[in-house]
Amino acid sequence: MTARSLFIPITLLLVIAFLIGPFLIIVAASFSAGETLAFPPQGFSLRWIAKVFTVESFRASFGMSLFLAIGGTAAALVLGIPASYALSRYKLPGAEIVRTVVSAPIIVPGIIVGLALLRYIVVPFQVGITLALFLAHTALVLPYAVRVVSASLDNLRSDIEEAAVLLGSSRLGAFFRVVMPNIRGGIMSAFILGFVTSFNQVPVSLFLSGPGVRTLPVDMIAYMEIVFDPSVAALSSLLAFLSIGIVFIAERFLGFSRYV
Amino acid sequence: MSDASYLSLEKLTLAYGDSVAVANLDLNIRKGELIALLGPSGCGKTTTMRAIAGLLPVKSGHVRLDGADITRVPANKRAVGLMFQSYALFPHLSVYENVGFGLKLKGMRGTELDTKVKSGLKSVGLSDFANRKPAELSGGQQQRVALARSMVMEPKVLLLDEPLSNLDARLRLEMRTELQRVQKETGVTMIFVTHDQAEALALADRIVVMKSGKIEQIGSPEDIYNRPTSSFVADFVGFENIFPLENGKMKTSAGLIDLSGHLSSGAPSAAGLAWRPRMVTLGTGPFQGTVRGTSFAGDSREYLLDSAFGPIKAEVEASRPTHALGDALVFDLPAEKAAPLSRFV
Amino acid sequence: MFQNRAEALALALPAAIFAATVFLVPVVILLSDGFRAPAGGWTISAYTDFFSNPLNQAVFLRTLRLGALVTIASAVIGYAAAFAIVSLEPGAKGKVTGLVVLPLMISPVARTYAWIVILGRTGIVNQAFQALGITEAPLRILFSETAIFIGLLQLFLPLMIISLISALENMPKDAIPAARVLGANWFQVFWKVVLPLTKEGLVIGGTLVFTGSLTAYITPAILGGSKVLMLETLLYQQVAVSNNFVAASVIAFILIVMSFAANILLKRVATARNKQRSPQ
Repeated sequence: MTARSLFIPITLLLVIAFLIGPFLIIVAASFSAGETLAFPPQGFSLRWIAKVFTVESFRASFGMSLFLAIGGTAAALVLGIPASYALSRYKLPGAEIVRTVVSAPIIVPGIIVGLALLRYIVVPFQVGITLALFLAHTALVLPYAVRVVSASLDNLRSDIEEAAVLLGSSRLGAFFRVVMPNIRGGIMSAFILGFVTSFNQVPVSLFLSGPGVRTLPVDMIAYMEIVFDPSVAALSSLLAFLSIGIVFIAERFLGFSRYV
Repeated sequence: MSDASYLSLEKLTLAYGDSVAVANLDLNIRKGELIALLGPSGCGKTTTMRAIAGLLPVKSGHVRLDGADITRVPANKRAVGLMFQSYALFPHLSVYENVGFGLKLKGMRGTELDTKVKSGLKSVGLSDFANRKPAELSGGQQQRVALARSMVMEPKVLLLDEPLSNLDARLRLEMRTELQRVQKETGVTMIFVTHDQAEALALADRIVVMKSGKIEQIGSPEDIYNRPTSSFVADFVGFENIFPLENGKMKTSAGLIDLSGHLSSGAPSAAGLAWRPRMVTLGTGPFQGTVRGTSFAGDSREYLLDSAFGPIKAEVEASRPTHALGDALVFDLPAEKAAPLSRFV
Repeated sequence: MFQNRAEALALALPAAIFAATVFLVPVVILLSDGFRAPAGGWTISAYTDFFSNPLNQAVFLRTLRLGALVTIASAVIGYAAAFAIVSLEPGAKGKVTGLVVLPLMISPVARTYAWIVILGRTGIVNQAFQALGITEAPLRILFSETAIFIGLLQLFLPLMIISLISALENMPKDAIPAARVLGANWFQVFWKVVLPLTKEGLVIGGTLVFTGSLTAYITPAILGGSKVLMLETLLYQQVAVSNNFVAASVIAFILIVMSFAANILLKRVATARNKQRSPQ
């Protein structure tokens, strides 16, 4: 009995230490006063946190990542919401093909998507780096958008649209009056999931990043290959708190985990 | 437009893709009538209802309402209301907003809207629930919101999809009364779809029994209950002993059999005869049977007999002497009580 | 269900066409590169070349080995963790599950970067080992298979745990007590009752972990360095360093075949189980 009652807390402690510990160490290291990345941190200072904001390339790549995460996710939703609606509400000819095509980018490793796009879209059609990254991130987020929006459409009765039509609404009007308000939580959740996925994405962006145009995580990898100071740790902590904050708020107000 | 055909379906054919669900259906409904479309699932009753509402395109034929051909009129311009089986309330809107939804789309605003919504809520006894969300109401209350939402639109026809099937016994009676009251007060033409014969018999002025996309019989509840014209309808309304007829004799697995008594007028040309279990006489009669099963049902007792021409179901008053399993019995299928069937399928 | 096909296609096609042009067509062309003979026609010589190189063989085997080891380790740890979590009170269960899921929200770069601090020459592990007198000189843990293994395990363990939590929660509540009453010991309970009843969750989690490990880039790039390669980092090198697009196509094809094989396995096992259930 004692063995069993000890099993649970010890197991949980070890597993959580393994999963969360490294992150806590990174957070601690980012407050170090020392010149190099180390733990335990040498003294306490905010200098590395402050430095993050002064590194020019971080600022640029943060802006790029933000643009891709917001723009790419928005574009994926603009494409994905109608597609999800067609998949969940219509007898769509070739529905399985459509579903497979739009969700395929999730199965194929990102590095291959990036390379294929570089070789057969970017080079032959002279597509700019920013546009290429935007297309890649949209394709990457599309499967998540379709999955989450479809799930929330499937949870919504379809006869309320018919009811709205019989009460005088047009089909399009019914979509905006009774479907959209009821899947708003799902769309917001899809947006957050897409945002986090896009923002943290590395392999897709690897080959597509060009001189001066990089996403933040790619830039961080490049930076830490050259400089071994705690600024990447500081930046990682800041980003982690940012994503945790967003997800926490989403869970509070949307019940995010229901949709993911 | 004659009064007898306020709503008429003419040679209506409906299909899902290539599979025809309703073929060449003709039906005339009077203004203010309460009609039941009755039949098993897949008989085309719901399909017909959806076509009247405009939710399903018509393959061929016509739908006329109040003198106008509405076959190609879109669903949102038909003045036809539909109370869904699931009620289909808008989950994000309050009861008040649900009821006002259609009126607002009509352009109604301000006090006119408010008065209408409030009187709609009052008529179904939900004035105190105006600010609730549908999820905070019981099933019966949700249904009354759905009824009010349809009725405030003052539809020419109100369609109801299995209106009593989601309710428990007590609420059923309540809702049944409610629907009859609304119909009486407003004079709206109502068509409801059901698979439950008891529901149809209790509620409707006229019952349309459907089978495989065709009308099997149209008649008053008494007609349908007492005078089914086909073996299908007879079976559906509880005639459990049904036999085909040939030259005035009953055709069974044991050959042609003479019946006692006289067939009622017109019956000799019938294609079949049907008896409810209650119409079977036990203890006297020309036929031999053995008790194979028995069950007590309160006021009455049911017996299942094995006979030369197959199983016979009989029901007698519980006060009568009982018979045990295996007992040999004589019984009669009195010809004068039988319902003559013009079609046997 | 609405019937209008034209409407349905108009709604679905933009997304499908986008995914096809931006993703599917380029990827298919890329994959076909490895089968194209320089003089025209088709050949598999690029594949025989690739596998005849001992370095490539080693990378291929290492990728498979790490994928398998990470999957097995996450299954073992995952069962223990999921058991512990489902036995908690509802409130505590939600919080602990939240802690398990939390790392998934953190950038993989940040998560992987932490292991440099822990496993590096002057990292915590080496400091501790030297302080305790286990080793004299610092061990070289970073830039090894061990480091990649630890990094991947930390990255993907949450996926296994949440798959197993939902599998354990969907298990009939009386199954374990019933088996105990019938005289099974804990090992038998796990092997004969829990494992068959949670097989589906294990397969889902296992597929996620296995394909995730195969196709992870950041972890082998940061923790393996340029010497200890996996297929993904080898692919990157072939393009970025050697400009060898044919080899890149070969590696891409191998990765996709492996991912698809794992996915098909998942579906096969899931449907096999549904078939068993249906006769009830």
